Amino acid sequence: MTTARSSRASKRALLALLAAIAVAGGTRVSAHRLDELLQAARIAIEPDRVELEMSLTPGTAVADDLIRQIDADGNGAFSGAEKQAYVDRTLSALVLRVDEGPRLPMAMASASVPDAAAMRTGDGVIVLRAVAMASSLSAGSHRLFFRNEHAPANSVYLANALVPESDQVAVTKQDRDGDQRELTITFAINGAPASTSRWVWIGLAGTLLATALLSRRRHAGHEQVARATSSG
Amino acid sequence: MPASIRTPLIVAVALVVCMAGALAHAQGKPTPADTTKQVVAAAQAVVATLDAAGKTKVQFPFGGPQRTRWSNLPSPMFERQGLKLGDLTPPQREAVTKLLTVAFSGSGYKKVTEIMHGDEVLRQRGGGAGRGPAFGENEYYLAFVGTPSTTTPWTLQFGGHHLAINLTMGGSQATLAPSHTAAQPATYTVEGRTVRPLGAENDKAFALINALDATQRGQAILNYRIADLVLGPREDGKTIQPEGAKVSTFNASQQTMLLEIVREWTGIMNDAYADARMAEIKADLPQTFFAWSGPTTAGSAAYFRIQGPTLVIEYAPQNGVDHIHTIYRDPTNDYGTKFTRK
Repeated sequence: MTTARSSRASKRALLALLAAIAVAGGTRVSAHRLDELLQAARIAIEPDRVELEMSLTPGTAVADDLIRQIDADGNGAFSGAEKQAYVDRTLSALVLRVDEGPRLPMAMASASVPDAAAMRTGDGVIVLRAVAMASSLSAGSHRLFFRNEHAPANSVYLANALVPESDQVAVTKQDRDGDQRELTITFAINGAPASTSRWVWIGLAGTLLATALLSRRRHAGHEQVARATSSG
Repeated sequence: MPASIRTPLIVAVALVVCMAGALAHAQGKPTPADTTKQVVAAAQAVVATLDAAGKTKVQFPFGGPQRTRWSNLPSPMFERQGLKLGDLTPPQREAVTKLLTVAFSGSGYKKVTEIMHGDEVLRQRGGGAGRGPAFGENEYYLAFVGTPSTTTPWTLQFGGHHLAINLTMGGSQATLAPSHTAAQPATYTVEGRTVRPLGAENDKAFALINALDATQRGQAILNYRIADLVLGPREDGKTIQPEGAKVSTFNASQQTMLLEIVREWTGIMNDAYADARMAEIKADLPQTFFAWSGPTTAGSAAYFRIQGPTLVIEYAPQNGVDHIHTIYRDPTNDYGTKFTRK
């Protein structure tokens, strides 16, 4: 297993080297995003929380810059602490506010950082998932403000609201700045305590319970009748 | 999507598919079920040309990771699995060509081969020379995810740089979602003839944006730059909030123009599959949106998106008009999830 893993690692390192040679040698590796970091944010608003997913895809020409930012000791490999430090720095550069209130604290839900070789080939994507609790949101209209302040020098941005899972939340408008570093999502919270489908399930459960109780009563009645006839 | 909406939607889609099949049968056209039989026979003919190692290479389990493994990147930046065209003997390659011509429409096969030939042009211009990324018509891969069957779902995967076709068939039903088409160079010449693999998508979209009135255009045109695909490779299972102009505000002619754009993607599939899919998309037009980012003068680089309850199409120029990426998705049926839902 270790051999297979080290063989895969060697292969990746070779691919990274080949990609680096191609870039350094002036071979245009197609025109895929070479000299930019693509930062894509997806924001899901639910009645009690905001979920943020960020993917960061470095072009092959900027991969080494990013690798240097992560690989603090310069040994060519990312330690757990180095990955965590980069992820924390990135998260601290992301701003979420609801209704012009204070910055929402975000907790990291998960993060994956590929190895340096994958980044150099152009196939390495860093993915962060964070959650901010927003339990105090009242029914009515609200605005969620998002701003991405991470690595502005060489980045291009995408920022989108996802369709909410809950039918208690409806996104009504999205406003962005020209390059999508900022996104303001206007959304409405429906005050209904439970979704339509939840009411269907509650109704179904109630019907089943009532049917079970009636059937039990009828069964008990039959037993009483049976006991009465047998004892007679 | 809430279950209260999903169940009637599934029933409606099933009805549309059945009606399309019945209509095709009545008109003497091949039905989707007939087409699946032909595709399965052609896939089995490919397998029959392979030795044991080749059979192992082409076949993957339906529930395994290969199902969602695809990329816009060239090999070996992205390591593809399956049968590599460049490794095949002439009879094997002929069998693969036959399979693709059965599974795809005439225009779909033409589009796919023009994308591949564009990559060959890139190679001949010196891209990927030496030991760098590999370009060219030999760098495309075929895989079967699930055993080719006329009844149970399986996926025909065909792709390489700038191409990822995922055609999942489940008996009389088929979906192309998700599939990625792209082109670089977006325009090239072969024997004096100009080839634009994604030219029709581009031209039809510019025609539509310029056919909208000022109010509709004001709603369709987004005031921010979209530099890349939002739902490209790796972005499975996400549904973004739709934006742009509601297609319900379009007149009949504008709606027809929009459907003709959509057909550039759905029409990659064999016509029997594409007709059924287009009926479904047409039924959803009242809930569909058309969004645009960039200039509206033909020949410019502009992004557009068509999004409905079962559809997302994105067309995204990459820093100019000579390099285009696109994506086609069905958020309710990527990889044929509807065909396996119990």
